Amino acid sequence: MNYHSDIKAKLKGSLTGLLALASLAVSTVQAEETVKVGVLHSLSGTMAISETSLRDVLLFTFDEINAAGGVMGKMIEPVVVDGASDWPLFAEKAEQLVAQDKTVVTFGCWTSVSRKSVLPVYEKYKNLLFYPVQYEGEEMSPNIFYTAEAVNQQAIPAVDYLLEEGYKKFYLIGTDYVYPQTTNLVLFEYLQSKGIPVESIGGGLRKDDDGNVISAGNYTPFGHSDFQQIVAEIKTFAASGDACVINTINGDANVPFFKEFAASGMTSDDCPVVSFSISEDEFRSLPAEDLIGHLGCWTYFMSIDSPENKKFIADFQAWLAATDVTGVVKEDRVTCSPMVLSYNGVYLWKAAVEKAGTFDPEAVMAALKEGVSFDGPAGTVTSQENHHLTKNVYIGETLETGQFSILESFENVEGEPFLKGTFK
Amino acid sequence: MNLSAVRQLFTLALLFAIGASISETAHADEAGTRALLVEIVHADGDDARQQLAMEGLAEEGDPIIGTFYEAYRSGNIFIKKVASSDSPLVLMKDNKDYTNLLTGESVTPSDELKPSRAGRGLRKDLKRLVDLLDLSSPDLEKRIAAADLLGKSQNPEYLPELKARLDKQTDEKVARAFREAIYICELKSGSDTEKLAAVKALGEMKSLPAKGFLETVAKEYETSTEPGARALRESTRKAIREIDDYQKIVGHIGTLFRGLSLGSVLLLVAYGLAITFGQMGVINMAHGEFIAIGGYTVYLIQNYFVNTFGVGSSAYEWYFVLSLPCAFLAAALAGALLEKGMIRFLYSRPLESLLATWGVSMILQQLFRLQFGAANVSVSAPQWLSGSYSFGGVSMSYSRIFLVAFAFLVIIVTWLLMNRTSWGLHVRATMQNRQMASSLGVPSGRVNMLTFAYGSGLAGLAGAFISQIGNVGPSMGQTYIVDSFMVVVVGGVGNLFGAALSSLGIGMVDQWLQPILGPVMGKISVLITIILFLQFKPGGLFPSRSRSLDD
Repeated sequence: MNYHSDIKAKLKGSLTGLLALASLAVSTVQAEETVKVGVLHSLSGTMAISETSLRDVLLFTFDEINAAGGVMGKMIEPVVVDGASDWPLFAEKAEQLVAQDKTVVTFGCWTSVSRKSVLPVYEKYKNLLFYPVQYEGEEMSPNIFYTAEAVNQQAIPAVDYLLEEGYKKFYLIGTDYVYPQTTNLVLFEYLQSKGIPVESIGGGLRKDDDGNVISAGNYTPFGHSDFQQIVAEIKTFAASGDACVINTINGDANVPFFKEFAASGMTSDDCPVVSFSISEDEFRSLPAEDLIGHLGCWTYFMSIDSPENKKFIADFQAWLAATDVTGVVKEDRVTCSPMVLSYNGVYLWKAAVEKAGTFDPEAVMAALKEGVSFDGPAGTVTSQENHHLTKNVYIGETLETGQFSILESFENVEGEPFLKGTFK
Repeated sequence: MNLSAVRQLFTLALLFAIGASISETAHADEAGTRALLVEIVHADGDDARQQLAMEGLAEEGDPIIGTFYEAYRSGNIFIKKVASSDSPLVLMKDNKDYTNLLTGESVTPSDELKPSRAGRGLRKDLKRLVDLLDLSSPDLEKRIAAADLLGKSQNPEYLPELKARLDKQTDEKVARAFREAIYICELKSGSDTEKLAAVKALGEMKSLPAKGFLETVAKEYETSTEPGARALRESTRKAIREIDDYQKIVGHIGTLFRGLSLGSVLLLVAYGLAITFGQMGVINMAHGEFIAIGGYTVYLIQNYFVNTFGVGSSAYEWYFVLSLPCAFLAAALAGALLEKGMIRFLYSRPLESLLATWGVSMILQQLFRLQFGAANVSVSAPQWLSGSYSFGGVSMSYSRIFLVAFAFLVIIVTWLLMNRTSWGLHVRATMQNRQMASSLGVPSGRVNMLTFAYGSGLAGLAGAFISQIGNVGPSMGQTYIVDSFMVVVVGGVGNLFGAALSSLGIGMVDQWLQPILGPVMGKISVLITIILFLQFKPGGLFPSRSRSLDD
């Protein structure tokens, strides 16, 4: 008995050894044919609800590129890690991607704080990160490429539009963190440069000891649920007409805000609210009838009527229906600006790699700085010297369906991250 | 110019003739108005034609324009191609029924409907027209709103219309709105004497909307040396001061109401906990999830009503009334199950109850996510709960008023239950000494279960109300759990009256501090105040000796 089982064990051992060898051979072959690309988004925690959509669209894009022959003959092999809405963890995961998995590029991050926490990692390893979500600017890391909307590609066109429509009073409101604070400070300077007097900019000012304005607008904590006082203030502010609200509230605090706003009797025809953090994806949980006629400003809307956009939406839906990736929600999916900017980012990276002729992150960044273009769902985007994108900007008003009807578009707006102090 | 264009121009001219002749004879003619509205939809994209039709409309005065504007605004106007004719039919959708806009007959829709949308500019014009028409609306509220808007436009063209109608207004509030509008108009276009009179009158009226316009006047005459400029300047400043003072009073009254309403939200979310934690001594971390159960119940019932009756139907209006008892029962049932299945084994071990219910809380949150998705769901308010009641510059939304009233109802009903029924006597006996009550024949097991269920049911009710003013989502309970414990602890554990008082107190303090310090610092200050308060009164407002503290 013993003898037999011994032989069996030996046989088993050698067999496993052989198998391991074989698989090693296979994997080395694979390694030659693929290139590792990192995906760093929160797939759990508070931000998961927004960031999971970006993971989905990235995987879709990789499949699309691989089906068309990959990048310089190599297949993209995504390495997906979960930042879990935990900012220090983002840095750890970024280090894992870059140092351990040897990814040549990472697509990821949503909140500015997550970007700020991974920034040192990418600078240390001289690797490359594509960042896809509208942000406050005032940053240009040599190792980050910002496909995101800069303030002058979202907030400033929106304000231009409102000025053109004849609005004379602006109330600023936002969630208390870096993006709304910085954006509103830029807008405060911009509005003044357009001849709007300080008393017509609502929400309050905070000054430092020297009298410089360090914060403009009214701020609430994340997840704030009681907007009675603020809406009452807006109502008084708007009492003499021609007033509008610039809204940088983030996340689900928008629901109580818009409910309170609608209950106060104000409509989008009396006092429109232009929001910078509400895209098609967020509408799934917003009371659409309270938002009819309010405005949004992005560099992409799902309602853009172009063959490229229709193809993009149809292909993405087809991919969703066919995919077997765990955790992908298949019903009622929409496309929105951060998703399209992720999609554009991958194609720009591909174009830059092909231009540079290498996957080396620094060479790719150099190619990006020289300018590469891609015809995306929202029109052509071109990379700039300053790590941002030239792209079209659209202003839309909300329909009861949760889509936007496009009111105005600005062609080829250059992204400019450093705006503070430029409007005098 | 092709044939169809010529024909359309001809029809337009005809319509104009009809419109003009009718406005001379009778004021409103529905058929003419309808024809013009159809013309506006057909002329989509042709601004000049639309403008012509709009001018024609201004001659009409039919209330159908208001209905049309609402439908156009919310995407309920459709175009249906007709094979036999060049000009397509225009349909207006109301709830689920379609009517032919031209004839007013109801139509069964087919598949080839194309929605038609109004541009922003056209919509603004339409809104102005509707407002103008509302000046003679039988609805007094609408008449006031119309006068208010016309005044703010400061367009001298409206002055004759406003003045002519002022004498006919019998209602004091409406007459005031008309006078206010006239004065605001005159601030811009009147002569100096008219301006002076308007400034004085607006100051005496303490008109809030006029403040901005008065400031413009003050600026305009700041450096002027013309005769009379000085008098105007001074009375403008005086008027602004008067309005400012009045605005402060209004602000205080508004804050009082807002404090009351925030207090009522806190009271509703915390009252259930005041029973389960305060009275029974169970540290129930899953209390927030019972709130979410209430919220999701409203969501489900809303969806059921939308699918069965359609949005905007009269039956739909009642969904929220029905969902209140349902939310209560659903959460109460969940509470009873939790008590029977877990908490009754933990009465002597409060710390274990904390951990166990925390686990339950996470399980429930995950269940919500699996069932309803990670995103928040949207719940809309019925018509009778939307809108607000205005009173001398203070506006209170109906949903908040309803909420405050309901919070008081909850206090009264709970008090009656606890102090006027034999069940209440049993509850109080069991809470004081479980063994003793049991040995005297009180069915303490059942009393415990029912008390816990009642507390959980109140959380469900709170969730139902929150669905009207805030978010419904898997983690909505987390937003309120800390507040709930805060209220109960400040009020004094075991004292229901204390919980009521502390929730109103916290609500008031929060709303008073917010305008001064801003929402972020306001919230922090409230928490610091509570910490300091508990330093001096560790037992809360009404310290009581409950079993849970004796142990």
